[in-house]
Amino acid sequence: MIAEATYTVVFYGLSIAVIALAVAVVSARQLLRAALALMGMLALSAGYYVMLAAEFLAGVQILVYVGGIVVLIVFAIMLTRSSELREDQPGPRTKLMGAVFSIAFMLMSGAALRATDFATSTHGVRPAEEIRMIGLGLLDRSGAGYLLPFEVISLLLLVAVIGGTVIARKTPPRNQPFTTGGDQIGETISEQVRQQDDDSNGEYGR
Amino acid sequence: MTELLAGYAPGLREWLTLSAILYAIGLYGLLTRRNAIAILMSVEIMLNSAAMNFVAFNRHVAPEQVDGHIMAIFVIVMAAAEVVVGMAIVVALYRMRATVDVNQMNMMKG
Repeated sequence: MIAEATYTVVFYGLSIAVIALAVAVVSARQLLRAALALMGMLALSAGYYVMLAAEFLAGVQILVYVGGIVVLIVFAIMLTRSSELREDQPGPRTKLMGAVFSIAFMLMSGAALRATDFATSTHGVRPAEEIRMIGLGLLDRSGAGYLLPFEVISLLLLVAVIGGTVIARKTPPRNQPFTTGGDQIGETISEQVRQQDDDSNGEYGR
Repeated sequence: MTELLAGYAPGLREWLTLSAILYAIGLYGLLTRRNAIAILMSVEIMLNSAAMNFVAFNRHVAPEQVDGHIMAIFVIVMAAAEVVVGMAIVVALYRMRATVDVNQMNMMKG
């Protein structure tokens, strides 16, 4: 009884905090504040995974999201100097359009939730060896396993690493296979920008 | 008081409602933001709420299985790959055009 009551209180408390942080992410004018709010939101979402009896996923969430993705986003904000380029307020038409679409989505999914009768199972117990079962499921070659998606997602990670490096590098090597010979146009444009930009002291656009 | 709170213990419907609210907030950010990095952050919120759906279904429909956990791992890996490529594109675009405003990203070459 006490456990259920605590569960309820924690669920609603956490939900209020997470929703407030998510609203801060989409509405903060300073991008660094939005990134910090995103960090808090993702860290608190790890608490949801603990409540859903997925402790391994909570750890993955902290490691990958909070430790990796948010740091990458902060890097990108710094590299593009977005914290200085203050985003101008979205117009009332844009805000109205966004509100209409998201509220329409809420109503639609609420109606679907109300109409659907989920085959919930209350008598089941949580898996005893959760991490072991996840690992075996990922490497299971039978029809119930996930070996092929696992290999595909490994390939996706490799492609993302190579693609990110190729796209974001500054000057491409000449006469290498599988390259287009470099982003000459971009180089010249950024040279012009650099000449117009007074405060740049040559470390960027080179 | 304790009985009242225990009676309102969240089930699958509450988890899905919470996930839908987070998804709608992310959708709002996706539609209203003009900064490409802010749009990517909104996409992260949406992916996070989708992964939470998988785990909630796993917990309340088949609690002795871990298929939902595996799906959530796939979603997290995909989010990481997406943010790597997205950030690379944003940084490259900023280097070329000196802007991260998506309204001005209107050409595919140069």
